[in-house]
Amino acid sequence: MNPQLEGIETIPGTYPFDIRTANRTLNINRFFWNMISAEWRARFIEDEEGTMEAAGLTEEEKKLVRARDWLGLVKHGVNFFVLEKFGRVVHKTNLEIYAIMRGETFEEFMKTRRVPDAR
Amino acid sequence: MARIIGGIGTSHVPTIAVAYDKGKQNEPAWAPLFEGYKPVAAWLAEKQADVLVFFYNDHCTTFFFDMYPTFALGVGERFPIADEGAGLRNLPPIRGNVDFQAHIAECLVNDEFDLTVFQNKPIDHGCASPLPLLWPHQPDWPGAVVPIAINVLQYPLPTARRCYRLGQAVRRAVESYPEDLKVVVVGTGGLSHQIHGERTGFNNTEWDMEFLRLLEEDPEALMRMKHADYVRLGGAESVEQIMWLAMRGALGTGPLRKLHQNYYLATTTAMTVVLYEEAAPAAVRSELAAMAAS
Repeated sequence: MNPQLEGIETIPGTYPFDIRTANRTLNINRFFWNMISAEWRARFIEDEEGTMEAAGLTEEEKKLVRARDWLGLVKHGVNFFVLEKFGRVVHKTNLEIYAIMRGETFEEFMKTRRVPDAR
Repeated sequence: MARIIGGIGTSHVPTIAVAYDKGKQNEPAWAPLFEGYKPVAAWLAEKQADVLVFFYNDHCTTFFFDMYPTFALGVGERFPIADEGAGLRNLPPIRGNVDFQAHIAECLVNDEFDLTVFQNKPIDHGCASPLPLLWPHQPDWPGAVVPIAINVLQYPLPTARRCYRLGQAVRRAVESYPEDLKVVVVGTGGLSHQIHGERTGFNNTEWDMEFLRLLEEDPEALMRMKHADYVRLGGAESVEQIMWLAMRGALGTGPLRKLHQNYYLATTTAMTVVLYEEAAPAAVRSELAAMAAS
């Protein structure tokens, strides 16, 4: 146990990303990381299943990607900062992804913000 | 001799870059953010800062988790601004200064900060989001950046205290460089926000204000805090505020003078910019100390 993280398990709705997580989920994190390459993005748009296969995703992981299950992907151990790259490719803004992770519609979520027009 | 003339704390939210690139500077929802940077940009222009040392984090763009450095320093005359999935931004590549960057790396390693050196790599919004709000970029940036990336993504992260000590070591490194360069240290990230899991959207303005007070008056209190404390108080991703401690460490142990602060919590991140100078320049302080001793 990392002593710096003592007590973190008592914080709700939070999934700390550590070496053990990355070791378990390296392939799917790399799959999303590759979205920084225009070539990989084009290949994904052309052939989603083929790119997932080439990246070595498990069947469970493929289901999460197909479903665009943002919260499920985070819980599985995908780091948000590679997930947001995927967001750009499938035309979801971060604010839209945040709303989905909270289980709210976009408009509901924006109403909870101090400046709902800042988008 | 190179010397540190001030410090800046700033958010590095990618949204700032998107709003900047779309020209939203004067829209009512965004103007309070952009206006808040103007006094800092004016100060940098007036002081004619030569170098910005950026304590920032990579967001799994330059580096991937198959080899993720705890501390990494960039060396190069130019760094392209990274494509993070949405294509390239219309900004010139970030400027460097190879001799100064190499000197900082040599000093840090000899000072027992055994960091990674990267070259010829693109740099993401951790540095590039606030940079155009601080410095003009047409036709080119007016100075060089020393990019120092800190791992705040994959635990174990360096401790808050370690980041402060890194800043202290950077100060020693800057002050041992023979050329007269005016250096400003920049700590990026925060303030309160969480952007993953069901707790997404968490903010804590009361804590943000307390953090700013402690940073200025009692950084030791922030150094004692564990990462889990930062996560609880400010949201999971606010743990990146440990990078502000590196900036604080580089500003020395004397009192600071806060010249400007802007705090704008519009949606999910408390977007903040703060500018500090040391209350008495180091040379004056050492003179005073010598007088007191004699």
